[in-house]
Amino acid sequence: MNQMSWPPQVPPPQPLPAPPPMPVAFSGSRGEFFDLVKRGAGLEFVTLGFYRFWLLTDIRRHLWANTHVYGDAAEYTGRGKELLIGFLVALAILVPVYLGYFLVGLEAEHIQAFASIPLIAFFYVFGQFAIYRARRYRLTRTVWRGLRFWMTGSGWAYAARATLWGLLSALTLGLALPWRAAALERYKMRHTFYGDLQGSFEGRGWEFFKRGWWLWLLAPVAMMVYPLAPFIYGAFKAIEWRWWLSGIRFGGVRVESSLPKSALIGLYWKVIGWIVVLGLVFSAYLALAAVLVASMSGDSFSEFFKSQEFAKSIPLLVLAGIGYLAFALAMNIVIRVYLLRDLWVRVLGSINVSGIETAANVSARGGMANALGEGFADGLDVGGF
Amino acid sequence: MVMDSDTPTPAKSTTLGSATYFDGTSSRRRMVTLRLAERLEIEGEQSLAAWIYADIRRADSPAGMLRLSCLSAPALARLEVRDKELANELVSRCTKIDDHMIGRRGVAAIVGWSLAAAASIVAVVLFGLPLAADRLTPLVPEAFERRLGDVADSQIKTMFDAKVCDNAAGQKAFTKLITALRESAGLDTSVQSGVLSSSLPNAFALPGGKVYLFNGLLAKAENADEIAGVLAHELGHLKHRDSMRAMIHNGGTSFLIGLLFGDITGSSALIFASRTLVTSSHSREAETDADSFAIDVMHRLGRPAKPTGELLLRVTGKEGKGLSIISTHPLSEDRLARMSRQDPPASGPPLLTSEEWRSLKSICDGKS
Repeated sequence: MNQMSWPPQVPPPQPLPAPPPMPVAFSGSRGEFFDLVKRGAGLEFVTLGFYRFWLLTDIRRHLWANTHVYGDAAEYTGRGKELLIGFLVALAILVPVYLGYFLVGLEAEHIQAFASIPLIAFFYVFGQFAIYRARRYRLTRTVWRGLRFWMTGSGWAYAARATLWGLLSALTLGLALPWRAAALERYKMRHTFYGDLQGSFEGRGWEFFKRGWWLWLLAPVAMMVYPLAPFIYGAFKAIEWRWWLSGIRFGGVRVESSLPKSALIGLYWKVIGWIVVLGLVFSAYLALAAVLVASMSGDSFSEFFKSQEFAKSIPLLVLAGIGYLAFALAMNIVIRVYLLRDLWVRVLGSINVSGIETAANVSARGGMANALGEGFADGLDVGGF
Repeated sequence: MVMDSDTPTPAKSTTLGSATYFDGTSSRRRMVTLRLAERLEIEGEQSLAAWIYADIRRADSPAGMLRLSCLSAPALARLEVRDKELANELVSRCTKIDDHMIGRRGVAAIVGWSLAAAASIVAVVLFGLPLAADRLTPLVPEAFERRLGDVADSQIKTMFDAKVCDNAAGQKAFTKLITALRESAGLDTSVQSGVLSSSLPNAFALPGGKVYLFNGLLAKAENADEIAGVLAHELGHLKHRDSMRAMIHNGGTSFLIGLLFGDITGSSALIFASRTLVTSSHSREAETDADSFAIDVMHRLGRPAKPTGELLLRVTGKEGKGLSIISTHPLSEDRLARMSRQDPPASGPPLLTSEEWRSLKSICDGKS
């Protein structure tokens, strides 16, 4: 159990078993989540990845349902089938887009070799659109106290902003990143609602910059001294989370976060440790498979490896492929446990919510959005929960 | 909010209990009394709702709490029961409470259909795509193919930093050689060809009728027949429009295999590996056909094909035994063996005089 400790407030006397009086808490057990992603990874393996829609849904359902805000747990009402349909629709749209991209690229190449490379920028814009629309889907499936969150705004307007700010960030070697984050977050939050309560974002780019500028200076060092990278990235993520959460407002409801800079570094190191372990296991498996196949082929080992024949042996390639798939899935389990669940719990533990009284009698508004954005995000491989 | 206040319920075995209720239209949290009568009656200060047991469904909840929704109530109306006994009693009355969950059967259906989808994708990749590539290739307009060729042309020249070699004497010899081969191969004058200055020992055909020979291969060749066979082989690719076919085939295969694996982390490596396996077998077939074509062309000119095989073996070295499923070309040993088989002694005149052969070999020397 991960009960978040918070200065306990005096619980109002109630005739019922009172809900925990802390502003934000997480009640899910780690073992249960581990079983969930383990089973999910197994099913992903068997279905060659198609199960991802249902696994993702189950992960979100678990995280949402165990997140309590002022005693009331949230709920995720999205379903795997919606994601599958979103993916299929996105596919139907993306295939002609890819084809058009290919033909335009061909024309560009005709004029100048490799002139089509800037066209990749188009997919960056499209990816930003997908991120916005996927957020909209997730938000409209998020329910708390019998009301859903929802979102307005335009995915393309967001994509245009994100792209222009991205360009500026690239030109300033990342210095403009805090202001980019603030501007985009302002756009997202002012189009976000809980019932008829409108959201807003009060975080300022300057505050983000003040907290993280030294990381910007250290980043080039981390690129040369690899063991420093997880520290710097972990600190950056912690600063980003804290700054982002502390800027969120819904009407009179204010979110604050006190996440320490060092809170996430341990998680990244654990993931790295597991990757090393899994990598060693995978190498040992490959070596074993090679020895096994070599002994079956009848040649002596040295001859088998010297003749480069091992790179062409079908059984070995099949064994390596299966091993690789298992390796990738095990990595997914590790990443989901540490960087989804544990991160979620640590970040939640740092949150305080004030002014919740103003959300005591909010009226329902807003409808559900479709999962097309999620489909695009999946097809274009851009992130999100 | 009063949904069914006038239902007369002669309560025979009504259980009472308390719960938290959200009506789905406001975020107001209400402490309510539940009356488990003919329907589930939810009462606060007044009667709030009555839910039909058959319509009640389980909603996600944290451990230690039963959360219910109702099909005939607002979609987000929720009832939260923390009392274990009351929860058990409710579950036993709501016979369809878990009907909407994906049970074992649902998961089995997902697995089954995924496997079916995977099987049909694999079948299309293995059998459908080669057929489609064969049928589609003749339909692709020549002009489009030439366009593709131009693009590949400028990319290759940039990538290998290669320039066209054309000093006068060498170019004359090359033109003589390629013209003889082209005529024997039955190709028209739209074929473009040239020697590129790159030390790689290679030659290739591009879509839209372009054949390039790298200077590196010329350097390794010992006589005109060796080079002639290689050029004839590339002309064979042009004649069969193999690059167009390969493009359709490769593009389709990557797309379908990508679809299959979706976004498992690092799946691109798997996609690449399986695509290589599939397309290389197809490419070996095309290479063997081009070899046969080259042999025919050389024989028609009254020249032997064996020297080409020897050149290939000289370039690649011995490749070892056994089936190689990831190489795009057949083994050089096998190619030499095929080219040596039924190779008649030279009956036609040499394709180039020794003078011309020397000029060709030094085509990249100096400026013209």
